Amino acid sequence: MIDRRKFLTTVALGTASAAFLSACGQSSSSGQTGSADKPVTITYTWWGNDDRAERTRKAIALFETKNPDIKVNGNFSDFAGYWQKRATEAAGGGLPDVMQWDLSYLRDYGQRNQLLDLGTVKINTDGFDKSLLPSGQIKGKTFGIPTSTNAFAVYYDPAKLASLGIAEPDGSWNYKEFNAFLAEVGQKGNGTLFGGTDYTSVWWNFNIWLRQNNIKAFTDEGKLGFSKDDLKKWWNLSADLRGTGAIVGEDKTTQLLPKSPFGSNVTATEVTWDNFMAGYLADSGAKELKLVPVPSDDPDNLGLFLKPSMLMVASAKTKYKDAAARFIDFMVNDPEVGQIFKTSRGVPASKTQRDGTTFEGTDKLVVDYEKSIEKYLKDAPEPPIVGFGTLESTFKRVSSDLNYGKLTIDGAADAWFKEAEDLIKQNA
Amino acid sequence: MATPTQSTPAATQAPVYNPKSESVTAKRIKSAIFHIVALALVVMVLYPAIWMIASSFKPNSEIGGANNALWSANFSFDNFATAMDGIGGVSTLTFFTNSLILAVGAVVGTVLSASVSAYAFARINFPGRGLFFGMMIATLLLPFHVVIIPQYIVFQQLGLVDTYVPLLIGKFLAADAFFVFLMVQFMRGLPAELDEAARIDGAGHARIFGSIMLPLMKPALISTSIFSFIWSWNDFLGPLLYLNTPEKYPLPLALRLFVDQTQSSDYGAMIAMSVLALLPVLVFFLVFQRYIVEGVSTQGLKG
Repeated sequence: MIDRRKFLTTVALGTASAAFLSACGQSSSSGQTGSADKPVTITYTWWGNDDRAERTRKAIALFETKNPDIKVNGNFSDFAGYWQKRATEAAGGGLPDVMQWDLSYLRDYGQRNQLLDLGTVKINTDGFDKSLLPSGQIKGKTFGIPTSTNAFAVYYDPAKLASLGIAEPDGSWNYKEFNAFLAEVGQKGNGTLFGGTDYTSVWWNFNIWLRQNNIKAFTDEGKLGFSKDDLKKWWNLSADLRGTGAIVGEDKTTQLLPKSPFGSNVTATEVTWDNFMAGYLADSGAKELKLVPVPSDDPDNLGLFLKPSMLMVASAKTKYKDAAARFIDFMVNDPEVGQIFKTSRGVPASKTQRDGTTFEGTDKLVVDYEKSIEKYLKDAPEPPIVGFGTLESTFKRVSSDLNYGKLTIDGAADAWFKEAEDLIKQNA
Repeated sequence: MATPTQSTPAATQAPVYNPKSESVTAKRIKSAIFHIVALALVVMVLYPAIWMIASSFKPNSEIGGANNALWSANFSFDNFATAMDGIGGVSTLTFFTNSLILAVGAVVGTVLSASVSAYAFARINFPGRGLFFGMMIATLLLPFHVVIIPQYIVFQQLGLVDTYVPLLIGKFLAADAFFVFLMVQFMRGLPAELDEAARIDGAGHARIFGSIMLPLMKPALISTSIFSFIWSWNDFLGPLLYLNTPEKYPLPLALRLFVDQTQSSDYGAMIAMSVLALLPVLVFFLVFQRYIVEGVSTQGLKG
């Protein structure tokens, strides 16, 4: 049996060694540093296609020439595989040093202490719009620095509108005018060209409409900030359009997958993020696409905001905090990096990077659009709640049932609220 | 002229009951129906493959979506050129080589280890054989996803992440219970008199296994090779989790990089690369498929 004295010594020894170890940890808080002769190697991982891989490779090469004491090992995968891999690594304790990140996963990993508080390291954020930074922060800790932004917009194909003899919209419209526009396209398109997809089926559209009505989507406690009536009102907005040529049917949309109706040249407009431009151009083969602001019943409040299209984060367990911070700083601020990526990550978030980049063609369209809505921009929402991805996809699913006519508007609102409240309770 | 004279005896014979001639026409009709149905099924089954090959020659904007035509007027090899360009400075040939290394490693490892283990289970009466056999079968019931994280932690602590070891070591240690089971079943079907005769002649286990069992097991070995080659060739999750350096990626990881829903997707290049990626598997199957048939037909060897 262990007697009391022995027990106490053991505890004392244990506490002392724990204190010693944590002291060690603190003393090396800036992490190990390297030199030109003996560079440290950090790992950086991102998702994206072959084009992004090529651009990132160039950016890394540039970073290594400018910082001979740091080597960067890059690796990449597709978006879906990316999160499977991160989840496994997080469980195994081996997240890469620096990672490209998506807003919807920030709270989840941040709350579980997997990400480094970037407020404790040196990263220059002077060039950032102050309304943008909160989107990478949770409870006062900065977990992510936005690389680039995107904003919501209405896309249209000017060639298609011209062929139907419809004037191009100027983007100052309310919902009634927007509906009338969609209906006109549907009528003249005569079954071959539809107005658009049902704009009420996308969560972010709803969120923007809520902002236009000064309602918060989520309360500070992470609960729903709007009522069932708000949601019913929203789904009622396009009630007259469903089943007409103004909105492409859900069955048709499904047939077109994996492409979108807009990318398949079946609709003349689409309401979504402005960074889909390159994808739509590639899918549809259209010569030119244009962007205008979303409709609003309050012409002074469009509810628009800049959302980080992606963020840079570091692993909480990285041994090279200083090197990681320098790499993040380089990727978000360096003008030459902007010149490499153009708008393929979104519009560069940092002013130094944005100003140092020359934009042409499509890139310029997106940048000009974001500049044109500057005066309407309000603070970006906080990182979405845990499980937000599910809420978003449920929203889409319930709306498509509504479009199929399987649910009434009241039934759809009930169905969505029930699932949303269950989910929020589960994750609380 | 010859026809009418010849048809006369046939016409006179007609009233006579002739079951044979009737069943011949019936058989012909049946066979025609069978072939038509079979052909329709073949077209249905092959359509995706035909669609894929046709699409690999189409420009990206004409693939999927509202485009229903199988052939495009804008026929080109551009997709193949893009696919062969590689990704992020790594050539497509590297991805092919990596896939090949992994697949060949998997085949060699599985065939060696599974056949030895199967011999032990089928022919050696060691203590606890039933228990171990049961445990092996139990691993078949364990979904892969349950063991992902513990396995990852083990390999990470051993410093083996970003090497091919985690992807191949299981194959060399007979961790694929399915193949062990397949071979055990096969060996149980082989007459025990053969090993007894060999033992009387003074052969040990190694000799019996090498000279008697292995040659007889050819069909099982071949089907194991085919399956483990195809599974390894198509494996996505394993390489995704364990490999970090793009230079070590196999094809399935590279294939996904042409399709990115958050930016633009190059379906054309992806499909072209899929066509290229399919070729080795197809060749592998065509070469060994002969042996499957051969193996099955010589299997009727009973004591």
